[in-house]
Amino acid sequence: MESSELARFEAAVLPHLDAAYTLARYLTRNASDAEDVVQDACLRALKYFEGFRGEPGASGTGARAWLLAIVRNTAYSSRRRQRADALATEFDETQHSDAVAEDNPEGVLLQKAAKETLRRALDRLAPEFREVIVLRELQGLSYKEISDVTGVPVGTVMSRLSRARTRLQQALRGEEER
Amino acid sequence: MTHPGIEAQVDAFLDGELGEVDARELETHLAQCPECARFRDGRLELRSAIAAGIPTFQAPVALRERVRAAGARGPLRFPVRRLWRPLAVAASLAVVAFGTWNLALRHSASETLADGLLASHIRSLMPGHLTDVLSSDQHTVKPWFNGRLDFSPPVYDFAGRGYPLLGGRLDYVDGRAVAALVYGRRQHLINVFLWPATRGAAAPAARSRHGYHLLHWITADYSYWVVSDLGLAELQEFTRLVRQADSAIYDSSGRPISQ
Repeated sequence: MESSELARFEAAVLPHLDAAYTLARYLTRNASDAEDVVQDACLRALKYFEGFRGEPGASGTGARAWLLAIVRNTAYSSRRRQRADALATEFDETQHSDAVAEDNPEGVLLQKAAKETLRRALDRLAPEFREVIVLRELQGLSYKEISDVTGVPVGTVMSRLSRARTRLQQALRGEEER
Repeated sequence: MTHPGIEAQVDAFLDGELGEVDARELETHLAQCPECARFRDGRLELRSAIAAGIPTFQAPVALRERVRAAGARGPLRFPVRRLWRPLAVAASLAVVAFGTWNLALRHSASETLADGLLASHIRSLMPGHLTDVLSSDQHTVKPWFNGRLDFSPPVYDFAGRGYPLLGGRLDYVDGRAVAALVYGRRQHLINVFLWPATRGAAAPAARSRHGYHLLHWITADYSYWVVSDLGLAELQEFTRLVRQADSAIYDSSGRPISQ
């Protein structure tokens, strides 16, 4: 790759690698799968990089949504291939147990339990709900950007986000949906 | 209970996504309605709980280095981590095979066209590139092409069959302006490219590239290309729907009935 092209690729992809990895982590729920997904996605990004023209002036956000969309598609296609796998590792009682050492002060223990409940609730959300939470709450994307990444209309982004939040609140209140 | 339909509004408001007028209206309502105000407070609590409890991650240094190195080497020599992983192996083989084949063979015209259409499909997935006219209404999308193209593409909506029409845009393929219609299938997008046929009719033929499928056929009037990352079986089902809809608008002599 020529050095100017390389600089353009690095400028488009590297600043968003943490965001890409975070999204992949929550979509795959697994650190090593997330690395594979991001690497695979960057391969695709590189392959099609020449087709990418970030909007002038807003190339930062354009590049981020572009990369996240590729990461998302890569995660979904690898998930389809590994569906049997994914179902088997969906929830591990011992790994996600609330049990905390008894000598913790009560407040800390409660706080820890709440975080754990929230994290587990997020992991249990359908991926379509999980991704909007990650994109909005962790990465601060606008509805339009989320729509670009997920390929669904802004109205759908809005209603998914709202439903996802309601489910997380239910989980925090200890209400099990279904 | 909060007022019906207001939950997503409150969310959009807190996300700064509500227009000025709607936002002012909602603020007035929140000031008067304790239930909805409580709902808003709950959402604010959730927001802090997420900020405190759901971490973001840093990409591992090794991953960052691999991506940087790959950029320096160019698209075809990406280092594959953990080769025994079937996924990675398949991906790398596909890339290597494509690369070798790419170098070894001259592309036929239709392969070049397929490449161009795939690139166009990928480009359409990038922010702001998918549709020029965003509408699920075929009677909005079809007229939009008037005056933009020298033909009036047939536009169908298969929402009832699980392939909703999302919109359309102009694209430029093989030296001419073409119609691109965008359909959805769950999370997948389907691009349908079409322009007036210059050769005789041909039955659908499938190709695959990098996990994308391309289906091409020619009717009496149009040359069609369909591109998507959707599974081949579903893409073929979609193709059947388009072909059925196409044939439904022609009478037995092959003349258009009406549209």
